[in-house]
Amino acid sequence: MGYLVRRTGQAIVTLVVAVVLVFVAVRLLPGNPLLTRFGQHVDPAQLEKLRVEQGWDRPIHRQLFEFVWQVATTGSLGESLMRSNASVAKELSERVPATIELALAALTIAIPVGLTAGVLASVRRGGWLDRVLMSGSLLGVSVPVFFIGICLRGLFPSMPAGFRLPLDVVDFEPWTGLYALDAVLQGRWEIAYQTLRHLCLPAVALSTIPTSLIARVTRSSMLEVLKADFLRTARAKGASRFSIVVRHAFRNAAVPITDMIGLQTGLLLSGAVLTETVFDWPGLGKYVVDALLTNDYVVVQAGGIVVATMFVTLNLALDLIYLLLDPRLRHG
Amino acid sequence: MIVSRMSLFARMLAAGVLCAAGTLSGCGGSADSSAAKTDTLVYGRGGDANTLDPINTDIGEAVKVIVNVFETLVAYHEEELTLVPGLAVKWENSQDGREWTFHLREGVKFHDGTPCDADAVVFSLERLISDQHPAVYDPLRPYRPNFQMIEKVEAVDARTVKFHLKEASAVFLNNLAMFPASVVSPTAVQKLGKEFATAPVGTGPFKFGRWKRDQQIVLEANPDYWDGAPRIARVVFVPIADGSTRVAQLRKGAIHLAEDLPPTELDAVAKEPGIAIQACESLNVGYLTLQTERPPLDKLKVRQAIAHAIDKQEMAHVVFADRAHPAVTLVPRNMWGYADQLADRKFDPATAKKLLEEAVQEEKLELPLKLTLAVMNQPRPYMQQPLQAASFVKDALGKIGIEVTVEPRPISQHFEHLMAGGHQMGLAGWTTDNSDPDNFLYSLLDVDNISEHGNNLSRYRNDEVHRLLLGAQKELDADKRLAMYARVQELCLQDAPVVPLISTEVRIAQTARLKGYRLHPASLVRLRRAYFESATPGGGSRP
Repeated sequence: MGYLVRRTGQAIVTLVVAVVLVFVAVRLLPGNPLLTRFGQHVDPAQLEKLRVEQGWDRPIHRQLFEFVWQVATTGSLGESLMRSNASVAKELSERVPATIELALAALTIAIPVGLTAGVLASVRRGGWLDRVLMSGSLLGVSVPVFFIGICLRGLFPSMPAGFRLPLDVVDFEPWTGLYALDAVLQGRWEIAYQTLRHLCLPAVALSTIPTSLIARVTRSSMLEVLKADFLRTARAKGASRFSIVVRHAFRNAAVPITDMIGLQTGLLLSGAVLTETVFDWPGLGKYVVDALLTNDYVVVQAGGIVVATMFVTLNLALDLIYLLLDPRLRHG
Repeated sequence: MIVSRMSLFARMLAAGVLCAAGTLSGCGGSADSSAAKTDTLVYGRGGDANTLDPINTDIGEAVKVIVNVFETLVAYHEEELTLVPGLAVKWENSQDGREWTFHLREGVKFHDGTPCDADAVVFSLERLISDQHPAVYDPLRPYRPNFQMIEKVEAVDARTVKFHLKEASAVFLNNLAMFPASVVSPTAVQKLGKEFATAPVGTGPFKFGRWKRDQQIVLEANPDYWDGAPRIARVVFVPIADGSTRVAQLRKGAIHLAEDLPPTELDAVAKEPGIAIQACESLNVGYLTLQTERPPLDKLKVRQAIAHAIDKQEMAHVVFADRAHPAVTLVPRNMWGYADQLADRKFDPATAKKLLEEAVQEEKLELPLKLTLAVMNQPRPYMQQPLQAASFVKDALGKIGIEVTVEPRPISQHFEHLMAGGHQMGLAGWTTDNSDPDNFLYSLLDVDNISEHGNNLSRYRNDEVHRLLLGAQKELDADKRLAMYARVQELCLQDAPVVPLISTEVRIAQTARLKGYRLHPASLVRLRRAYFESATPGGGSRP
């Protein structure tokens, strides 16, 4: 219990530090976001009025305090500086599900493929299968995602290579923002099918790194456990090979693997900027990066908060999962 | 409705078959393609709109949508730069040019069913010009200064609107044809409040459908449009940031029209069957600004030497792949007001060198002269490859003894830097707002526009130019105005505060089946007459 409280406390401190850092950093960037809005028609009087309205004439700590107050009292994350009537909270509520859907799709590929490859490589250690799988995973980690994305687009020219749905579908209103789920809930089978098709290439591209990392960690973790005495005992007692590998070794190798999966999930959920850019996927990563390029303070700080929150929460959840997986930690 | 159900059924059938096939590569192109829908035009461009309220934007991506939803009192001709009746059928002005009366078209209704009358016009214009207006929900109104000549707008009767100007203005009518002066539905503005920016209501040929930010803006045909309903049922504007992705989507038939493409991609796609290219000389100019307040550019001979040293023809060839032509003055050659009798300063490195050496001697400077060249590192319509253009200038000036350091910056910082006068030389450009020479010459050369946010980037000061430009703004006699602008352009050529470089061509790629849409010289995207040639389902251009 004490561990839980301590761990939650740490998470909150991390979150606060992250928010302050993002808030200050974005204001230190060169360039005035309002100038971008005015384009070639800057009106100095309007510009000054807006600057005061945004509170940029006040010291940065007061701006921070006012922002935190606004979030705490109204729950509003503000409106984008670049777009009229663009509630950032509302925009995020459309962007985050897009990222989650893509991340889930990528994990659906990465976890089974990565685990299977890792286990196979470990039991065939040194053999050709091991070598092929590990070279493949090395390639998977080192080739840039956007390159893989472009290759996939070239290899499967008939597959949709961008967006979540065909561009001329104009009558689909999502409920949760997870299109595949919404389409099924609404009984729109054709939309569900199109959603899955549109997910294919970006999910494959995005899954390469986590798949490879999971495979590598699984392999080394498995090798560690396979050497252990208790497995020799199990073998001596006549346990089947399958049962040794899957029931005994794999379970004991699970902690570092869970760690890796958790870390990767966090990364995927915080928005895969490159994949989202190559495939015009309207997700969180691209949203925040686009805002950074135009110095849209409001969007950047809100995006930063959401990413930090997701990351911290996920890490907290992971730690709790360890407690369940490894009884020894409960007394640590 | 029946059509869309049929096609939905067909697509579901196709989906089922393809699902059964089950493999990635087994999926044919047709399910992804929108070619089967002949009533929907998908328009691919580089970015999304920032707002659809006409008074709050100067972003091209927003304007493309706005001009299809809204209308102005006076409009541009479908293919030319002349003005034609819009929501006003006729107009007249008083002798002194300070009173303009507009007679509105009968029976025009907003998309919400309310009548478009004189009160609506007054409401719309007051939203644009008033210092404080209860129905302005975003205070940022970039074009407001362009309408400051208006003192008052009043409704004489339901069909007549009268404008009182502070003084006569030669650009008033042109400015009224600009999108910020669009007539909006007062009922909708008041009812929707700030949501009007994301659910606009006008009188145009298309009604607003829906907007999913960074994904789609959907416009539906307005069947009651006073000049006849559009031929297509719907337009979907989609933002696709990357140029080569736009080309790929066009090849697949997922979009029907792609703009702002990299020249090489465009040339490649041009050769393919089923794809057509449109090109049009556009009203823009890319130029080199020479900051006349900063030595040694305050010396006329140095500026003239620079102007002599750049081979614009070669630049158009090398940097713009011949999709641009050399600019003599800041006014584009296809626009009214261009001084066509003016001969450009010759490309002549020998003269350039001589002038530079004279300047060096007179002013006790040292060769090589060291100058910085500020450049934006993102493409603009008037300069698709700014870094290449900067290298070209650097090489050219290197040959006459000027050592150039290129300083690239992101676009917003670049112009902030130039406006503040922090540069020595800089690449810049201008695209027309209202197709009037005043918009180029007054904005870019007048002493009034020297400030931290002014567009006279060269900080050029010439009393005669100032007098002529202010005079021309009030001169209603077209011939006299023309003579004034010709003189301004001549003085600018002599004094060389800027070196006009090129005006570019706008090119788009589109499905060959798409007909009826022509590029407009002022880059207005009006899609009312667009239609698809053959209506055979699945008759897409790509296999």
